[in-house]
Amino acid sequence: MADLKPILLVEDSPKDVELTLAALEQCQLANAVIVVRDGAEALDYLFSRGSFANRETADPAVVLLDLKLPKVDGLEVLEQIKKDAHLKGTPVVMLTSSREERDLVRSYSLGVNAFVVKPVAFDQFFEAIRDLGMFWAVLNEPPPRGSAPSP
Amino acid sequence: MTETPAIIADLDLAACEREPIRVPGSIQPHGALFVLDADGVVSKAAIGALAVGVVDDPVGRKLADLLPGDARRAIESLGTGLVAGRGPEHLCFLRTEAGAFHLVAHRSGEDVIVELERATGDEPGSFDAVYPDVRAFLDAVQRTSGIQALADLAAREVRRITGLDRALIYRFDEEWNGEVIAEDNGGRLPVYLDLRWPASDIPAQARELYRLNRLRLIADANYEPAPITPDGAAVDLTYSVLRSVSPVHLEYMRNMETMASMSISLLSGERLWGLISCHHQDPIRVPYHVRAACEFIGQVVSMQIAAHEASALALRRDALRTVQGKLLAHMAAEDHFIDGLLAHPRDLMALTGADGAAVVAGGRCTRLGETPDEPAILSLVEWLSQQDREDVFVADSLAAEWPEGEALKDLGSGVVAISISQIHDSYLIWFRPELVRTVSWGGDPAKRAELGPDGLRLHPRKSFDIWKETVRLRARPWHEAEIDAARELRVAIVDIVLRRAEEMAALSERLAAINKELEAFSYSVSHDLRAPFRHIVGYAQLLKKFEGERLSERGDRYIETIIESAISAGQLVDDLLSYSQMGRSTITPVSIDVAAMVDEARANLTVEGDRHRVDWRIGDLAPVRADPVMVRLVVQNLLENALKFSRDREPAVIEIGSEAKEGDVTTWVRDNGAGFDMAYVDKLFGVFQRLHREEEFEGTGIGLANVKRIVERHGGRVWAQGEPDRGATFFFALPAA
Repeated sequence: MADLKPILLVEDSPKDVELTLAALEQCQLANAVIVVRDGAEALDYLFSRGSFANRETADPAVVLLDLKLPKVDGLEVLEQIKKDAHLKGTPVVMLTSSREERDLVRSYSLGVNAFVVKPVAFDQFFEAIRDLGMFWAVLNEPPPRGSAPSP
Repeated sequence: MTETPAIIADLDLAACEREPIRVPGSIQPHGALFVLDADGVVSKAAIGALAVGVVDDPVGRKLADLLPGDARRAIESLGTGLVAGRGPEHLCFLRTEAGAFHLVAHRSGEDVIVELERATGDEPGSFDAVYPDVRAFLDAVQRTSGIQALADLAAREVRRITGLDRALIYRFDEEWNGEVIAEDNGGRLPVYLDLRWPASDIPAQARELYRLNRLRLIADANYEPAPITPDGAAVDLTYSVLRSVSPVHLEYMRNMETMASMSISLLSGERLWGLISCHHQDPIRVPYHVRAACEFIGQVVSMQIAAHEASALALRRDALRTVQGKLLAHMAAEDHFIDGLLAHPRDLMALTGADGAAVVAGGRCTRLGETPDEPAILSLVEWLSQQDREDVFVADSLAAEWPEGEALKDLGSGVVAISISQIHDSYLIWFRPELVRTVSWGGDPAKRAELGPDGLRLHPRKSFDIWKETVRLRARPWHEAEIDAARELRVAIVDIVLRRAEEMAALSERLAAINKELEAFSYSVSHDLRAPFRHIVGYAQLLKKFEGERLSERGDRYIETIIESAISAGQLVDDLLSYSQMGRSTITPVSIDVAAMVDEARANLTVEGDRHRVDWRIGDLAPVRADPVMVRLVVQNLLENALKFSRDREPAVIEIGSEAKEGDVTTWVRDNGAGFDMAYVDKLFGVFQRLHREEEFEGTGIGLANVKRIVERHGGRVWAQGEPDRGATFFFALPAA
């Protein structure tokens, strides 16, 4: 399990964190999920600085990145990732709240790997996350129950 | 009346205009002329018959040395005291054995021209002698008012002082024809009062000479000119008192049977206004001091005329300015300034003293008062717009400027037009009707000259009998103040138009700001309003998943309802957003293959709702020119509706067709479903309007509102026909590709 790269979830709304984790849980992914709550924290994690200066966890297998975030917004985080020689290969899935925002991401065209409009119906969201998880993250290992938010 | 060959008239004009009247090379014989160089040495001279014996062979000698006493001292002290461009100064009275003379001098370039004019007696004559007359004249001037009274007075006084047979006050019109407006006549010469004279009788260079030298005397029409030698043609005699005149003019005088003439120029400001023109049947030399008095009278009359014209102009302007103020107030009171003008035709016409007016704007013509008919006005506007003119077009005779304008003559011989928008060929035009007048000429103005028996030289006409002419195609002339008023109104209109444009710009700036705010608002709605619905659905589904087994059937139904409601609320938010987006996003029209778009929409829809059999009947679909993203929404929406409302039919029949007509393509979608009552057709396309209960057919009530908005933003039209239970047809018309 330790050699499996984690999923980095960048999301400010605690409810969306919980729902996303529930969806990921149902996908039965083996990866750990690291949750950070704003863009600055996401960058700290990605660049191993601040409170993540000595992180033991690996670089993420995939970043699930909300578009609208406090401090540093999603597009800026995306830009930093894609500018960094080491990180630019990391797939980034942009989570947007509405179709209008999706247009914003499209026009920005910073090399996002996928985007998901968070649907109102949870089961659609679940399906979307599951598809993405399958595709980007990893393998279907036996159920690792309770991948807790970290830190 | 015989026709005068045009060539003679042309010859006449050309010949007279060319005549070197400033440098005739000779003088009249009642004196002598000397051209002195800077050292006072005579370079050229002319000795007239009445001055023979005063000095002999003066050329090459100092003039001062040749003259006695006072004259010598006066000439020696001339120095550089004389200023060029002014009339002669009187130096002294000179008595010689050959006779008595007035000695006068003026500067001409580097030279000084000294003239000896033979006095009419042995005494110099003094201003004192004429002072009482001049004084009386000045007193009388104080009491007169108006140009006519002034002209009558001047004619009378000048004839009295000079004792000449006839004194005329001759006034130029704008084309330099002259008219005798006042006359004092001793009875020996014919009366010319009210007669007109063609401009060619006093050609341009003669008028210019009159403007510079205010008094001219021809003592004897039969005189023998005394040549200036050597090289007399090089001496400019503009300011000379003895200047010899054109032989054509002398012949003209003989034809008029006047042997002597004197004219005094009347100026209004710098412009030659007219002449005090005096004639005598016999040769006569008007004494120097009398001429000086006449010149003075001429100056007084000139000043009075200038003052009178200025005050008349000011009065007229004041009156027009009052009208203009009213018009501006009318214009400001209306949303569109033209309405302000049209609502007050009386003021509009008073502004220029017109009998009719027309406003032509945006191809629309509005006529007020007495005007030519609309097609005539529109053709005038077309002609005007092709002319490279100043802001104001003025014609007293439209036909003279534009031959086709003759058709407008009855009510529009006189025209003043201002352009009020260069972009749209908009004009404000005033009209005056034709004024047929009879003009009396002093002789046939067409027969200005005749060829003499020699067949070469030109001779002025011999007949000065009254020749009546009927003047047509002309209106009462527009006054300078009226033209200015029109010009000022144009400036005011242009100001208003500009101000409106600025207001529009400010408004659209504000609109843009509001639009931006709206965008920010809908962004925030999309983000913040959507999230709670998502959370409700998410948690309810989690609850159902993990705790569902413990819920009663009723609890289970409650959860289902919560989920459904939250989903439809979320859908509502999405639909509202897309509706507002339709209103804001820019349209990029391209040619659209509607048939392909219908196929695509059908494919999308049948995957989802493949629950019942549908009989699609798709006809020829003409391409349209529109924004493809938006039209896809329209097609999708109408097909979705057709499927939805016909889903309980077996089979459902959906027919799609189109018809192209007059540049538009009308496309329709017909179903055999639930239909609707035409009584509610107006509600069909409104936001949140539903014609069916929700449990029958789901939906947010925004779909058709969106369709309507999209089509109308393309300048198209949507409409529908239906009958309950017998299906519905939706039509939309868009520009053809």
